[in-house]
Order: sequence, then C-alpha cells, then structure tokens
Amino acid sequence: MTSGFTFPYFFNYPPYFTLQPVKETRDKQVALWCSLILSFCQSTKTYIIDVQSESRLFSNDSINRKLSYEARAAILDELVAQGRAEWVDKSKTQCLIFWKRVEEWAAVLMDFVRTFGLSDSVMTMDELVGGDDVRGTELFGLHTEVLARVLRLLEAQGKVRTFKGSTAEEHGVKFL
Amino acid sequence: MRRGPGIAGLQHAARTKEQFKLTGEEVKKNTLQAMHEQLAAFRANLEEFARKHRADIRRDPVFRAQFHTMCANIGVDPLASNKSLWASTLGFGDYYYELGVQVVEACLATRSVNGGIMDLASLLKYVNRRRGSQGEPVSEDDVVRAISKLKVLGGGFDLVTIGGHQYVRSVPGELNLDKNKALEVAQGRGYTSVAEMCTAAGWPKSRAEDVLQALTREGIAWVDDGAPDGLRLYWFPCLGGGLDQAA
Repeated sequence: MTSGFTFPYFFNYPPYFTLQPVKETRDKQVALWCSLILSFCQSTKTYIIDVQSESRLFSNDSINRKLSYEARAAILDELVAQGRAEWVDKSKTQCLIFWKRVEEWAAVLMDFVRTFGLSDSVMTMDELVGGDDVRGTELFGLHTEVLARVLRLLEAQGKVRTFKGSTAEEHGVKFL
Repeated sequence: MRRGPGIAGLQHAARTKEQFKLTGEEVKKNTLQAMHEQLAAFRANLEEFARKHRADIRRDPVFRAQFHTMCANIGVDPLASNKSLWASTLGFGDYYYELGVQVVEACLATRSVNGGIMDLASLLKYVNRRRGSQGEPVSEDDVVRAISKLKVLGGGFDLVTIGGHQYVRSVPGELNLDKNKALEVAQGRGYTSVAEMCTAAGWPKSRAEDVLQALTREGIAWVDDGAPDGLRLYWFPCLGGGLDQAA
C-alpha cells in the first residue's frame, strides 16, 4: 500500500530530522514536513497519525535518523494552525489529518450523489464509507469522524438530512 | 649618408638627423593612424559578424564564450552599455539583464535552505531548469558575467571561492577566514563538528563553537543531533544534498 510513495529529497538529508533552533531555517523545515505529511497521508489514505509509534513517515533507516516526539508535535501543531489537522486528544498522541479539507470531501460526496443518481435516497454512514457502492471511489475508507464533519456541513447547507439509527453504524443520511 | 668633413659636414649630419627624426615621427603618426584604422575595421567586422551570427551566439554557450574572448582581445565590451550598438545588434543588454534576474531569483528561492550561499554548478542547473527546454541554455561563463553585473547593485552579490569551488553569495556580510575554513573542512563530507574543526584547524573548542554557531544563526548551517554518538553535527546545504537535486 505504501510502496508507491516517493519521498522528497529532504527526507534523505539528516539535519531535517532535527528541529532547527534558528527560526527562518525552522520555518522552512516545518513547511516541507507539513507538505510531506499531507501527501503521504493522501497517498496512503491515512486519517489518523499516532505520533508516538514507529512510522515510515517520521524515520529514515537508510540515514539512521528519525524525528523526535517534540519535533513531530511541533510540525503537527503547524498543520493544526493551518486547519489541516486536529488533535484527537489533549495529550497530543493522536492527530486527525485533513489531507482533503472538509469542504473538498463534501464536494466529492455530492459528486458521488449526482453520479449515481442518489437524490432522495437514504444511506447509512457505514454504507457511505464501506458499502459496495462506494468501493473504487474516493469515499471508500473515509474516516467516520471526517464524514461526520462533512455531513454537518452539508446539513447546514440544506443538502442532506441526517438521522440517528438504533446503532452508530445505522446512523443515516438522506440526500435532498 | 656619408658625413662630409668640416662644418658643412656637421651641418649636413644635423640636417640628416633632423630629417630622420621628422620621418620617424611621421612614421609613428602614420602607424598610429594605421592602427586606429585597423581597429575601426576590426570593430566594424566584429559588429557585422555579431549581426550575422546573432542567433548562434545566443543559442550556443561555447560559441558565445569564444565571441566574448574575441571581443575582449580588441578591447570591446559588448555588455558595456544598454544603448550601444552592441545591445541592439545582439540584444545582450536584455539577455544578461534577464539572466541576472533569474540568478537573483534562484538565490532568493533557495536562501531559506542554504543561507545565501549557493554552489555555482547548482545555480546553473537551477537557472537552466527554470528556462526550460525552449529557453536558450546558459553556461557557467554566462552566469559569471551576469553576476559581475549584479555586483554593481550591491546587496552582497559576489562569487566566492572556497576550497577550490565557486559559490555565489547573495547576502551581505563577508565570509571571514574562520567561516571559510569551516566550509572548507566540511566540504569533505558535507558536514563537520566542533571536534573535527578543532582537529582539522587546530582551534580551541570555543573558537570552533563560535564559528559553527554563527554559521547556523545565518542559516548557512543546519544542526543535526541525530548522530549515533550524540555528537552535534553541522551540515551545509550549499555543499550539496540539502536542496532538490534539480537545484
């Protein structure tokens, strides 16, 4: 799954794995890492980054370097500031990554609805991210928390109506 | 002329000498005149050459360099003035001006990584990449000429030589001898450490620390605390590896 991803040049340069003390240098470094995180997550369809676990993203065995927890947290903080990520927990161990923004996901969903003529029909949340209809589309595997945000947005825009089912899996949405 | 005896002979000799002198000056004047005329003819021929071969001069960096040498040999600087006949015949004024802009742009774009020191070969690659396949390729010679024009603008543009390699500096502030030494030592592997500087340059620890920290503050060096032995290493992107390979 991850074999297709090409890491950028800086991933092979050791100092990029140390959080730089000089501001202008650090700004450049963090910007490059933020960009890498978004492309990596998009390529691997990763929605949650567990900051403390071993990861192909934060370490490069070929040069024997890896980003420290502090460095990872600092970089993710920047993504959060840009609105491209959110800390799931106060202790900052898990980070939800919006490699597509909520608005972009909403457009993808509405496109799906249009393409498959789903106006007026109803689907459960589960079906929306894992059903046969979405297999092969971008929606497949979408993180439920992201989907929840998308639906909240679309509901506010009057494009869908959500309702609770008896179980979380059965929470559904009607496309208006 | 045979010197005759007596006063008449002396007067004759003096007149002869005078005549020789006059003739000599005449010759000299004529020679200088001839030289001026020849030079003027050279210039005219060169201008005609430039007009005829404008396309080749612009397209081929090797031919262009040879043309510059030819001009230099007869004391002509085709870059001298934007308004000169040269500028309009060759469009050199615009050519080197545009190249100068591209050089500045390359330096600015990479400054946050290399601190304002860029290896000349990398700069050349970067500029040629930006010009694309449609653009006319530029040579190191062209870039060096463009930089010599940029120097006039101030702002620190200059070519510096460190350890036998040429770099373009685009920030003000001299690379003092100590900083130069650090870069020279680091050229081996692209990085150095306080310990290595002490050994290689024979410096006390404080001097090595001062220089490496100064280079870091200026953005020319990046720190690396990930070495297995925990020793802090100082890497220099301008020495290679820190930038996109195309740059």
